[in-house]
Amino acid sequence: MISVLIVDDAAFSRRMIRKFLQADGYEIWEATNGKEALSIVRDRAPDCLVTDILMPDMNGFELIQTLKEQGLAIPTIIISADIQESSRQRGYNLGAAAFINKPPKEDELRQTVRQVFSF
Amino acid sequence: MSYAKPSDKFLASRGISLVKQLTVDQIDALKELINIGVGRAASLLNEMVGFPICLEIPFIQVFTVEDLQQELIARFNSNYLATVRLEFSGSINGSAELVFPTESASTLVSILTGEDLGSPDLDAVKIGTLTEVGNIVINGVIGSLGNLLKQRMNYLIPTYTEDTVENLFAAVEPDDSTIVLAQASFTIEQLQVIGDLIFIFELQTFDQLIAAIEEVA
Repeated sequence: MISVLIVDDAAFSRRMIRKFLQADGYEIWEATNGKEALSIVRDRAPDCLVTDILMPDMNGFELIQTLKEQGLAIPTIIISADIQESSRQRGYNLGAAAFINKPPKEDELRQTVRQVFSF
Repeated sequence: MSYAKPSDKFLASRGISLVKQLTVDQIDALKELINIGVGRAASLLNEMVGFPICLEIPFIQVFTVEDLQQELIARFNSNYLATVRLEFSGSINGSAELVFPTESASTLVSILTGEDLGSPDLDAVKIGTLTEVGNIVINGVIGSLGNLLKQRMNYLIPTYTEDTVENLFAAVEPDDSTIVLAQASFTIEQLQVIGDLIFIFELQTFDQLIAAIEEVA
């Protein structure tokens, strides 16, 4: 089964994202910050990451950077309340496959994840 | 509702000349930038709750902390409020707050989570839900401001607090007790929810905000 790791410190957002993605039958795992996410990536090797940026302990940018440095190439979608163009650009520069603003729209999120798996 | 504005003499006694620095055009431009951001934030809130959000035109004011406290107590008819605060820094420093009466906070969480008002589960999810709502809404405004002014903003983790108005603003240092305030009020009529978005810019960096506005205006 294709697996997706949702990384967000807000349970409200994790619940919303999980509900949207479960409709497409993915196996869903959750982490509340970048450090937890790293641990899950090492243990379970998810097929896709969906991550917030602003989180305690390790933020989303640091998570993507660390994964890159450790050679753990996982397609990553950023979902953030941060609507700054500079943040979007930074995400893409780090190699994010997509950058979606919160609150995510169900169709847009499901379509984006499907596109990640179609490559 | 009328708002008390500190006199120029009062401001001068504290070494504040900001009011004189702000021209009508600058206030108009700042108000419009806040308006654009608040409009975006209202759209995001509307997406989340599914009811129309009514906005009042934001106003820009120089307040003392005491003025702000009195204003909030009068507007909400309560001394006990719920707030989500997001501090930002960069070329412009300050904080933004989503403020509402605790009843409005509970109603919002009930709508967003489907939990019944008065349910013990409502309290359990309240803090996390409202913090995230505040995060999304405030980012809508501050991010919009940053994008328009081409100024990078860095954020701290948002925090949720329910407390008296005095305690909510107790952390403001005496030296910074005069604050530049942009305030936008909103109402969700169908839910009887009211709230304010408050932006507090540090005086030290406000000149940079004005300079950035003049560059794009």
